[in-house]
Amino acid sequence: MLRIENLTKVYPTGTVALKDVSFQVEDGEFLVVIGLSGSGKSTLLRCINRLIEPTSGRILWDDIDITAANAQQLRLIRRQIGMVFQQFNLVKRSKVITNVLSGRLGYANPWASLLGIWSHEDRQRAMQALERVGIADKANNRADALSGGQQQRVGIARALMQEPRLILADEPVASLDPVLAHSILQYLEALNRTDGVTVICSLHFLDLVHRYATRVVALKDGVKVFEGLPKEIDRARFKEIYGEEAEEVRATAVEVG
Amino acid sequence: MTNLSRVLRILLWLVVSAAIIAAFILSVRVTQPDFIKLVVAAPKARQILPQLFSPELFVRQAITSTMSLAFPIPCGSAEVGQPAESGPRLLAQPPCASAGETFRLRGENFPPNAGIKLSWRLPDQRALSIKRIATDGNGVFELEIQARPIAATKDGKPSSLEVETSLPEGALRPSPTLTEVVNAMFVTVFMALLATTFGTIIAIPLSFLAARNITYRGVLGKTVYFITRSFLNIIRSYEPLVMATIFALIVGFGNPFAGVLALVIVTTASLGKMFSESVESIDPGPIEAITATGANRAQVILYGVVPQIIPDFLSFTIYHWDINVRISTIIGFVGGGGIGYFLSQAINAFQYSKAGAALLAIILVVWALDFLSAEARKRLT
Ligand SMILES: Nc1ncnc2c1ncn2[C@@H]1O[C@H](COP(=O)(O)OP(=O)(O)OP(=O)(O)O)[C@@H](O)[C@H]1O
Ligand SMILES: [Mg+2]
Repeated sequence: MLRIENLTKVYPTGTVALKDVSFQVEDGEFLVVIGLSGSGKSTLLRCINRLIEPTSGRILWDDIDITAANAQQLRLIRRQIGMVFQQFNLVKRSKVITNVLSGRLGYANPWASLLGIWSHEDRQRAMQALERVGIADKANNRADALSGGQQQRVGIARALMQEPRLILADEPVASLDPVLAHSILQYLEALNRTDGVTVICSLHFLDLVHRYATRVVALKDGVKVFEGLPKEIDRARFKEIYGEEAEEVRATAVEVG
Repeated sequence: MTNLSRVLRILLWLVVSAAIIAAFILSVRVTQPDFIKLVVAAPKARQILPQLFSPELFVRQAITSTMSLAFPIPCGSAEVGQPAESGPRLLAQPPCASAGETFRLRGENFPPNAGIKLSWRLPDQRALSIKRIATDGNGVFELEIQARPIAATKDGKPSSLEVETSLPEGALRPSPTLTEVVNAMFVTVFMALLATTFGTIIAIPLSFLAARNITYRGVLGKTVYFITRSFLNIIRSYEPLVMATIFALIVGFGNPFAGVLALVIVTTASLGKMFSESVESIDPGPIEAITATGANRAQVILYGVVPQIIPDFLSFTIYHWDINVRISTIIGFVGGGGIGYFLSQAINAFQYSKAGAALLAIILVVWALDFLSAEARKRLT
């Protein structure tokens, strides 16, 4: 169970990106975070694995206080938390297999990995991860030779290498077309359903939220304005989260999705 | 009010124009451009330019052959020499003489139009040069020679007439100048290579320390960042020429080591800056992603940063080698060794043909490296 307690993030510029946010995520949930652009979704996800240092508040994972972990402990925590990004964040010039293997760095022997030496098990695990997302044949291609949808699957394979108990996905389908969006989210759903991995995912389109979320948290200007089931987001709630001009956004979203 | 500001504007404009004109007048007076001299003194260059433009790069190896004919002075003091049966042969008429008399020497069947060196080979094996002549179109020469008392027979051993024929034949050989130029050019190119290598090795770690996205974190990081940055900026402001001169004063003029030292510093400074800018401009996404996997800092740099910067680093390094060859020719002039030093020595010694060969070599090598480095860099993207 992940507990976010009074999480606040103030950037050095003075922007308050998160204001006193608290909620819980049970193991095995598919929690979707929604909110307008700039509402603090990315900041929230990055505070959980401390890619961004929270200003105050606590993040507890079972008995571990992530916010209190030192550098060494933090690395051990991070390697159990997979992360998937909107821009895929692959090393474009490296091979697909190298990108996938880099997901294993938290487990690998530091010296061997610096020499580019990987154990047979790790290589096998990487090929299995690529098979699972259906692009084992691309293992030796350069990452930037792949299409957007394929690159995001490499991103998921990289997260798989961590044998994660939790996956943070920051708008994983926002740079993909709607058809691909479903195929990517289905991989995350499968991980969630069959492997029992907890997923925290930020999404833009409401129909995707309805389709995949088991629970929803909504942010507005860094404040949590809603927490509940997807079906509870009615017209009034929607306007509350997205503002008065939100009608068109939803209409487009539903149409496109 | 508007009138006043307009007047002020015109005034300002006048002052600026006057300042610019003054600067021009001053620069003309200081640099003393003398176009008349450029024309009048041109004939003087006429003597130099042909030498400069006709560097002697190759020479034909001359094949020399010698033949001799014993010639007793006085007659009867020794056996007279017998002319050869076939091939080139020498005939003396008469075949012997007393000291002071003259005789005719005739050569037949020699190569036509060949240069010939005629000399006495004295009984004690010393050579005494007589004359240089050439054979005619039929390979024949004839001349009158005086029997010198010094060539008299000694202890029954007569002096011989010796004929040395040299034919400009055989393979073209690199001239001594060319060999010297090539050697000096090698020194320059390898000076540049050595300096580029060392400069790069020093610049790589410095560039990471001077990259905001890698180092600028925490008090220690910020301190290191500023120190490295300032260090690079300070050493960048030194002129390679000044440094080369100082190092040449220490290790000796003409010593390539002086040039290498100066170049290493120049290379470190400018590559350090270029590398750090390259590191700063990389995509932060992969760094974030790899940090999120629980990787340590070294792993993040090796897996997230290095693949992104390799093409830039290689291309900058090749480019800088190219630059270093140019700088090192100039550095050579102030005592840094290599082709530049060779050129300055040749000019100081009025050996313009040598200087021309050096210039030719510089042009060729700079052009070739320019071309190669451009090609190599094209392939790196
Ligand atoms: N590094 C930063 N420094 C300063 N302000 C930042 C930084 N990152 C984000 N912010 C600000 O914090 C707020 C929340 O940003 P965040 O990226 O978390 O929003 P988001 O919900 O992910 O938006 P989007 O949908 O556009 O990705 C915004 O106002 C943003 O401008
Ligand atoms: Mg975001």
